[in-house]
Formats: sequence, structure tokens, C-alpha cells
Amino acid sequence: MDYAALAAGIVFGLGALGAGIGNGLIFSKTVEGISRQPELRGTLTATAFIGVGLVEALPIISLVLAFMWQ
Amino acid sequence: MKGVRSNKMEHIAPQLKIADGFTLDLSALFMIVLSSVIVFVLCRLAVRNLSVDNPGKLQNFLEWVVEFVQGIIGQAMDYKKGKPYLALGLTLILYIFVSNMLGLPFGIVTEAHDAAHATFLGMNLYIPEGDHEELSFSWWKSPTADASMTMALALIVIVLSHVQGLRHNAKHYLKHYTHNPNIVFLPIHLVEIFSKPLTLGLRLFGNIFAGEVMIGVILGMGWVGIPALLLWQGFSIFVGAIQSFVFTMLTMVYISQAIVHEEDH
Repeated sequence: MDYAALAAGIVFGLGALGAGIGNGLIFSKTVEGISRQPELRGTLTATAFIGVGLVEALPIISLVLAFMWQ
Repeated sequence: MKGVRSNKMEHIAPQLKIADGFTLDLSALFMIVLSSVIVFVLCRLAVRNLSVDNPGKLQNFLEWVVEFVQGIIGQAMDYKKGKPYLALGLTLILYIFVSNMLGLPFGIVTEAHDAAHATFLGMNLYIPEGDHEELSFSWWKSPTADASMTMALALIVIVLSHVQGLRHNAKHYLKHYTHNPNIVFLPIHLVEIFSKPLTLGLRLFGNIFAGEVMIGVILGMGWVGIPALLLWQGFSIFVGAIQSFVFTMLTMVYISQAIVHEEDH
């Protein structure tokens, strides 16, 4: 049984789950903020993308690990 | 990172073995020098014939970048306190942005016909263990796709923040660890000392390296991958810009955490 491939799959799958949930939370709050104050749209969108850059750090590290073990 | 396996052909980076367990990555060396030269030439061209009333396009662009970095510093700390770090922020954002963009347009790959005895200018290249049928060396990549390069940048920034914190007010800086707000939090702060440079460096490395690996995978798909490659290149430009901005912003936040004291202490 190829444990390395299984490990790579589990690692990246859980990382993708975390990234999906994190990004979903960020953007749902951003949309809510834009709906409350439409004039802040630019600021909120920019802050949302900064948040995405931070949240996706660990899932991307897990992607690199998955490539290493595959 | 040994390399990416695609269609039984391994692309590995040309490395020189300096000492036991220490190899020098030649492609990273060339690419770091190249991106440094590009940023230097860009900035020197932008400050030629400076004019207040009639700025050229490049001067306009550089002024915009300077104001952008001033905005980043102003968000993290009081700008009067943060003014010495403007040059650091400017260097980081320009250098990381150019480095992230370099690996996207093309790649340079040379094939080694005799894998075991590949040489570069007479020096033997280091071949990792294993049985290689066809070996090719990839000479062109983003310098930030190398973990040692991004970790070096992160270490520079974090050591700078510690040194500046100790220089400005050493007792107050050490109080940040024990009195913040309670000594119970000390283990968390000790872990933070290690996790800050680690995540700072690995975030940048992971984003750019994964982007390059995906380019390799899409190229392996042949003609079918052309629209996918267009989309992925566009996304990689976006990610490269965002990651350079996030790195600079986090630098300023960590420095401000180390040197700003007055508020509630």
C-alpha cells in the first residue's frame, strides 16, 4: 500500500478544507459589510484579499508538503 | 525539494556540493542576481531627470509605490516612528514583486545526456541519489520559489524587529513577553518567536512554488492546457502581487509590535 500517496492526499485534502472554510468566512463577512456600507466597497474588498493571503498560508504549505511526498 | 516528476522526466535544479549536506543552488543564485539587477536598473531609471511639474511615467510609478508603502507603514504604526523603515518596505515590496513575476513567462531547461557526470564550467553538479533515465536541469525559476531564499528574507526581517526592539527600550521589550497581559501567556509568546519567521517565509515560498508546480502540470497536458495555462498565469500574477504586499505589511506589523511602547504600558 502506498502510504506516501495516501499521506499526501490526506494532508492536502484537510488543508483544502481549511482554506475553503476560511475563505468562505472571510468573503461572507465582506459581502455583509459591503451590504451595510456600500461606499466602503473598495476598502473592504482590499482587506478581504489581504485576509485571503494570510489564511491560505498554511493550506499552501500543506500543498508543498503533499508534492514533496508524492 | 528534489524536483517535479512529469512524464518520466525529472526537472531538478543544478546544485553544487560545497560541503557535506550543504549544496548551492545555481539556478537560485543566478535568478537572485538577475532580480536584484532588474530592481536596481528599474529604480535608477526612474530617478533620472527628476521633475516636479512634469514627471515621467516611471517617476510617477515609483512615487505611487512610495506612497503605497507609506500607507502600509501608517496602518501599522505612527508614521513618524516608522519613517526609517520606508526604504526597507520599498525594497521588500519591489524585490518580492519582481521575483514573483520572473518565473512566469518561460523556463530554461537543459538536458543532461550523461546524468551521472553533469558538469557546469568544469565543476561537477550534485546529482541526488537514485536511478535517473533522463535528467534535465531547470535554470530559470522565481527566486522566491526557493525555500532558502524566502526563509532568508523572513529571518532578516524578524531579526531586525528583535534588534530594534532591544535597542530602543530593552526592558520594555522584554516586558512584552511576560506582562502581556499575564505571565501565563509566556509559552505562547515563546512559540510565536519561532512561528513568525517560519510562517512568514513559508507562506511566500508555498504560494510561488505551488504556482510553478501547477504551471509544470498544466504544460504536461499538452494543447488541451492552453486556456488553463492562460487562467493560471493570470491568477499567478495576482497571487504574486498579493503575497508581496502581505509580506511587506506583516514586516511592518511585526516591527511595530516590537518598537511601539507608549499606548497602554
